[in-house]
Amino acid sequence: MILRIDLKSPVPVYRQIVDAIRILLVSGELNPGDSLPPVRRLALDLGVHFNTVAEAYRTLEEEGWLEIGRRSGARVVSRAVPNRCDPETGEAFQRRLREMAAEVEAHGFPRNRIARELRRLADNLERS
Amino acid sequence: MPTQTMLFVLLLMLMGGLYHIIPGLTRPDLFFAVTVAPAFRGSSDAQRMLGRYRAMVWMTTLVASWLELAAGLAVAAVLLAALGYLGALVSTNRAARAYAAAPSSILEVDLAMPQERLPGGPVVAVLPVLFLGGLGLWVGFHWDRLPQRFPVHWGIHGANRWVTTTPTTVFGFLAMLAFMCLLVAGLAWGIVHRTRRISTAGAGAAGERHFRRLMVQLLIVSGYFLVFPAWFTLFHPATAAMNAWGLALAAVILAFTVNLMRGGQGGSRVTVAAGAAPVGDRTPDACWKWGLFYVNPEDPSILIEKRFGVGYTFNFGNRWTWVVLATLLLPVAAGLILLR
Repeated sequence: MILRIDLKSPVPVYRQIVDAIRILLVSGELNPGDSLPPVRRLALDLGVHFNTVAEAYRTLEEEGWLEIGRRSGARVVSRAVPNRCDPETGEAFQRRLREMAAEVEAHGFPRNRIARELRRLADNLERS
Repeated sequence: MPTQTMLFVLLLMLMGGLYHIIPGLTRPDLFFAVTVAPAFRGSSDAQRMLGRYRAMVWMTTLVASWLELAAGLAVAAVLLAALGYLGALVSTNRAARAYAAAPSSILEVDLAMPQERLPGGPVVAVLPVLFLGGLGLWVGFHWDRLPQRFPVHWGIHGANRWVTTTPTTVFGFLAMLAFMCLLVAGLAWGIVHRTRRISTAGAGAAGERHFRRLMVQLLIVSGYFLVFPAWFTLFHPATAAMNAWGLALAAVILAFTVNLMRGGQGGSRVTVAAGAAPVGDRTPDACWKWGLFYVNPEDPSILIEKRFGVGYTFNFGNRWTWVVLATLLLPVAAGLILLR
């Protein structure tokens, strides 16, 4: 269960931590009852400020993924999946996908590769 | 030739030998505390720099030895050796910066990595302190069994400083030893819980774990060694037990040091898996002053793996480091003044 952060990425480190852990949660690699490293431990290992990791954990707690105890650290909890299949959520998702595709294309990533990655992602989602 | 002079020169030669081999003990992508491409260490430029550094080290060692042998200037010899070794490191560190490579911007952590603990638990680490506390209590009830004077400092020829037995000297002595035991226990805890785990998996991570365990074991064993002088000095001050203790301590430290060097600095000499890039040590080059002192206010670590030498050093950019250092140094200074 590797958490990977790129210091050169324009995405803030706390956001990268949130995104990486959320992927592990959604994919089922992290399950309810699993523990995450304490804030200090993760911050030390990554070499980032404690507040950066604490902010990431708080965001995941607000999303309902984690329960943060003062002594017990962060623990994954079972989360009721909210029913958000309204048109606004769908449009926001489409917009984010288009923005991301435009961004990587602007950085020189070939269009056919972007399409292939999106297809692979869609296949994985359907399979799961 | 007096024994003291011979020992002094032998010590200088050992120091020279140590500085000779230290550059080879760092991580494969570090050269004199500068991040370089892993293949750089085998290049002719690197070999030339290494050769010049070693020539400076041995020149310094020889001149310092001559100062002691010919003129008996021990203090000047020590100063010259310290400055010479530092000069050799700083000048080579500056030369190596011309070959610096960009460190990896990718940071990885294994979220499933197990938590490490003190071997035997915290009780084993603080047992020497409890023993000293018990000894202090016993002494309080059996004051008449103590000698008139007891030694507090030793040299090659045995005890060389004695103090009169008073409540201040006895309890001050015990308190100072207890503080030193707490200090080594605290350092051991800091290495387990407050140092960065750099490699995430495989031989690198295993090597790092082994290295940390050895460091922690050394510190805990040192704590146990520290309680013996309290017993010897207060109850058998005239015996040769202290000399035997000194030899045993030196042997234990030597055995651990050799093991630590063989084990490598933080797993540095663990074989890097084929095709895998070395991970560096996740500290920016710019934060290493002279290749020796780490100053990074952005880094939450207090203890950080050394880039030159075996073990750990402080992050002098972290304000908690200064709090820790003050907490460590003030009681030691107070104890030394008290026992004068």
